[in-house]
Amino acid sequence: MKVLTSLRIAVVLTVCGATTGMIGISACASAPDTDRLTNVIVPDFDTYVANVDAYLTRRCGTLDCHGQPGRAYRIYSREGFRLVQIQDGSLVSGQQPTQPEEQRANFEAFVSVEPEEMTRLMARQGDNPNELLVLRKPLKLERHKGGPAMAEDDPGYRCVVAWLQIPVVDGNGVPIPKEQRQKLSPNGVKNCQTATDFP
Amino acid sequence: MRRFSHRTLTLFAGLGVAVVASMGSSCNLDPVHRAGVNNLGGEQADLYPPETEFHRPGEPCALCHSTAGPADSVFVLAGTIFWGPDNYERRVDQAYVRIGGPDKTTKCFVTNCNGNFFVKSEDYPNLKFPLLISVERVNNPGGPGPDDEKSIRIRRMTSHIGREASCGNCHILGLRDFGSPGQIRMYDTENEVDTAKVPLPPGCPNDAPRVTRCPEDRL
Repeated sequence: MKVLTSLRIAVVLTVCGATTGMIGISACASAPDTDRLTNVIVPDFDTYVANVDAYLTRRCGTLDCHGQPGRAYRIYSREGFRLVQIQDGSLVSGQQPTQPEEQRANFEAFVSVEPEEMTRLMARQGDNPNELLVLRKPLKLERHKGGPAMAEDDPGYRCVVAWLQIPVVDGNGVPIPKEQRQKLSPNGVKNCQTATDFP
Repeated sequence: MRRFSHRTLTLFAGLGVAVVASMGSSCNLDPVHRAGVNNLGGEQADLYPPETEFHRPGEPCALCHSTAGPADSVFVLAGTIFWGPDNYERRVDQAYVRIGGPDKTTKCFVTNCNGNFFVKSEDYPNLKFPLLISVERVNNPGGPGPDDEKSIRIRRMTSHIGREASCGNCHILGLRDFGSPGQIRMYDTENEVDTAKVPLPPGCPNDAPRVTRCPEDRL
């Protein structure tokens, strides 16, 4: 009987402790800072639009993958999900061509998955790109619900990496003006084209 | 206080585990999936024979026909083909649905008189995503004439299928908007369907002869 009473006391104390702890944790959480701004060094936007977006939308942006609102890396395109905030929400999946605003949103989604990691990658001029989650997942270096979607020797991966390795800041972290940046190499352009055309 | 023997207690414990296990196998414990299934609503016996291959055209088949249930059979791909974008009644029977996988495998399946087709895992054991799909309807499938296998209409998906087994999950019935291209269709307008004078089955199910294999699979 004594053992049973001690057990009861222990259970009650544990529950009380857990409850107090939960209240303490929630009370310590600060309110979101709406003025907070994260500065991100982003890869070259024009190269993305000209060469990379078509591949990523085709490979990853179908309605059953990243072309849906539940994805952190959300992709808009003609063949998939449409940006409802433009053209009075009249864009229909499968109909009108992909719009510039959608390409901009795709670019922002790509760089925003891990803004700090993207900044680090750009600061080291694209060296070791597989640190990025957006590459680690399709390479299956991390769990990816869609399975392996890229391999290091396929043109799609090479297309994305070639784009990420265009320097946007110099060795001292000073931004390189758009007009002075390198262009994607002919091989890089070819890889993007091959990857986009692949059925 | 009455004392139970060790044997009796073990028996009770075993019984408890068995009850919980049977609950787990018969009930769907995933609330999202369960809500999806419940939202489909009941069968409509006036439209199709319930729980047959003809039932629920246009609905997301693999929601029930999956390992999570509640249907007995598991589909790796299934859907319904319509002639036009809006008319629910005009569905394509005996359409050839050709599926191409990334490893160059191809398989072809034929829709039934309600436009439904389904691929069981044993019918396409090495199926891998992403898939490319085309749908074709010929004049008179399986007919002996030289023009019987001539195409009336062929359509290809402009994108691939990444991993979804239900066509109806993206091609949502009655919804053509920013998130869904609408029902799978052979023509983009109902006027085109009218002009083409497409063949429609005499009710469904019916006794009319029908093919169950695509031309490339016939012996």
